[in-house]
Amino acid sequence: MPRVREVKVPYVEDKTTVGGPPAPSEADVSRMIRAEVETWKPRRGPEWSDLMIRIAAAGPSPWVVYTTASAALVVILVAAFLVGSWLQIGALAPQPVQVHLPK
Amino acid sequence: MTQAGQLDPKTQFRQLYDQEFNSVYRSIRAVVLDSAAAEDLTQETFVRAYRARHRYTPTAPPGAWLRRIGVNLAISHLRRQKLARFLPARLYTAPDRRDYDRAEARDVVEKAMLALSPKLRAAIVLHYYEGLTREEIADVLGVPAGTVASRIAKAVAIMRKTIGSDQQRDAARSRSEGALRGR
Repeated sequence: MPRVREVKVPYVEDKTTVGGPPAPSEADVSRMIRAEVETWKPRRGPEWSDLMIRIAAAGPSPWVVYTTASAALVVILVAAFLVGSWLQIGALAPQPVQVHLPK
Repeated sequence: MTQAGQLDPKTQFRQLYDQEFNSVYRSIRAVVLDSAAAEDLTQETFVRAYRARHRYTPTAPPGAWLRRIGVNLAISHLRRQKLARFLPARLYTAPDRRDYDRAEARDVVEKAMLALSPKLRAAIVLHYYEGLTREEIADVLGVPAGTVASRIAKAVAIMRKTIGSDQQRDAARSRSEGALRGR
């Protein structure tokens, strides 16, 4: 029978739990995210009729508004220039030029 | 899909709406972390997608296209909210007190997600929940794949730290409660 030698050793406290549990691993974080997101459910499901009402209530899309407004502005500016030139209004009228020719 | 790559409103768009609604909702919810706002923004996403369906080109799956609209809409919503705080008190109504109470009751993961920026949240939800690759997320968010990789790594590091410190705090609290009970 083998002999067992008993020796006295100083007591060392198991400190593995001191400071709390370690930070979760990437796999744990990924699992937690999946579990959390899984609980996110809309109170109302997809409602096609509500969507159609919203589409009908919404005005024209911004790019249509911007394009139309830009085109209207260009037309107004060109028309103002043509009318102003034709009626010879203000700066669009022929300007007197003072010329001093040397004798 | 029709010949020009457009979505037929009567059949295909409706089918897409039913199929992708929850997925788009979750992506938006990850950004705004508010269920009511997320529901509203999800419907708004489909309104925008419906109006832009003529411009849809099938280079990417329609789900990615919808999520891209949704995430951008959610980020704009948060930006508007942030700007609204600078408005005079008469024009800006502060969020309901119940929102703060609800925030208190949020669990560890949602609290950790709250510590992230909306863009980081969108990246991790699309990666870990939707299972999209970095390239697919890059397509959804409109950023390079390298940026997506760094966002995911940063988000995970922040979440690990936040969850870890939360757990440590809980452990310390239970230890002190145990010691008090032992007296």
